[in-house]
Amino acid sequence: MADHQHDKVRSRNEAFSDKVSSKISSEDASFGNPYIAENVRWYGYDVEDLMQNASLVEVFYLMFRGELPSAADARLLETLMVALINPGPRHPATRAAMNVGVGKTETTHILPVSTAVMGGEYLGGGSIESAMRFFRKYSKKDPEDVATSFADALVTDASSIPGFGKYYGDTDIFSAKIVQSLLPLSQELSALHWGSALASALASVNIGWLMPGVAAAVFSDLGFHPRSGAGLFQLMSAPGLLAHGLELANKPITAMPYVSDDNYVIDTPSKA
Amino acid sequence: MKTSHDFVQELDARRGKIISQTGGWFPGKGVYSHGYSMLEELVGEKSYFQILILNATGKLVSSELAQWMEAVYGCLSWPDPRIWCNQIGALAGVARTSAVTATAIGCLATDSRAYGVMPLMEGVGFIQEALLRHRQGMSAEDIVKDATSARGGKPFIVGYIRPIAKGDERLEVMEQVSQKLGFAEGEHLTLAYAIEKVLMEKFDEGMNINGYVSAFLSDQGFTAQEIYQMFAMLVASGVTACYLDTKQQPSEYFLPWRCDDVQYTGPEKRSVRDAR
Repeated sequence: MADHQHDKVRSRNEAFSDKVSSKISSEDASFGNPYIAENVRWYGYDVEDLMQNASLVEVFYLMFRGELPSAADARLLETLMVALINPGPRHPATRAAMNVGVGKTETTHILPVSTAVMGGEYLGGGSIESAMRFFRKYSKKDPEDVATSFADALVTDASSIPGFGKYYGDTDIFSAKIVQSLLPLSQELSALHWGSALASALASVNIGWLMPGVAAAVFSDLGFHPRSGAGLFQLMSAPGLLAHGLELANKPITAMPYVSDDNYVIDTPSKA
Repeated sequence: MKTSHDFVQELDARRGKIISQTGGWFPGKGVYSHGYSMLEELVGEKSYFQILILNATGKLVSSELAQWMEAVYGCLSWPDPRIWCNQIGALAGVARTSAVTATAIGCLATDSRAYGVMPLMEGVGFIQEALLRHRQGMSAEDIVKDATSARGGKPFIVGYIRPIAKGDERLEVMEQVSQKLGFAEGEHLTLAYAIEKVLMEKFDEGMNINGYVSAFLSDQGFTAQEIYQMFAMLVASGVTACYLDTKQQPSEYFLPWRCDDVQYTGPEKRSVRDAR
């Protein structure tokens, strides 16, 4: 190899902040120890005030929006949180939680492992940001026209519209039922209503709502930023993931199926 | 077109069954990876990095290339907790998690658009695309002009320019490693150097280790996705080191923050009653 001249190595001396800043938390130091907080406020609200006068769902909303929600928004968010609290035993994230449990992995790892899987693009938080941006981009257009414009793409890839698609070859009935429960709580000109019209337009090609799409629509309607969508979805599914993992944590390793050698097929073309 | 009935039948045929395109373990018979018997053909015969690359790409590479990979891993994982992934490991040490937790989450942090493993895909994408255009007659200068004009005239090309410092001390080390192992300079790397020359002349900016690795491994025939997969646990050892450094010290000693070290910029003090 020829000798090449490279840039001389030296620091850029970039100006980094002296302190981190936050709009969320403020802590008043105690008189005797500057490391110990005496009063803690979130977005200006004293934590004890929130504990006594606000509900969990209101404080949850506050964390991500910086303001307490209206009663209608709190009701919509709470109802969605109930729907998302348990992704069910067959979701890949729940199955990962079960493997953590039955494998006798430290129980502290159930959530990091399973919520990481819940961050995937298939039925997970990984598809929420693009679904929220899809609603931003298209929800002012006629849903019939949007369905028509995606017709060719959907033939090649049924997941071309983020948040919508096929579930085991069909439309997901349960997601559609969740939407029906949420619609009365949602304003008429909402992403959720528009998404329902889109789902109706896509029904003839067997494509419908997927759960991340439902969450993305409600998150959009509640004003959450698309970038927060993935984490919110992971967070809201966490209780069910943890519960399923813990359910198997005290059971023997034989409590989950183990594929027999006879049913394990290696289908490798040839040596690399 | 496949009906949902067909799809259900396909799924039913796979219930309780695994069909692997990679390998598996059959007690008493053997362990297989990409057609190789791991215990007869790989373990003790091939290096760990040859096996790592085989599992990440399906390709069994030469021992020289595996040694090159091992060397570059050493260039990309340092025990300095100022680096973001390493600081996560250090904070895991403060919090007294397990070493596996610290190391795994430090590696997870490198799935970043700004540093770590993910930018390799963009680096490889850039140099492979650049070579295609170069073969069609575009000069290195034109490639730089094109890339910088798309970024408002700034030379922000993945694989060139480095955060925190200018220049990259790892380039010369890896060039020596490549030479020692007998690798010739390939087309991607030659173009990468030509691009660096233009950037140095026009912007006083050079190639970084991402640019070198992207070009070198492109010359070895890897795709961007394969290269990303080969480096999945790249920073593991540096993170473990930073974890241990803080775990062995009192918990509150690592970069302690006073309450007023976090500058509050949110709303003034208010009450829930006023908000109702």
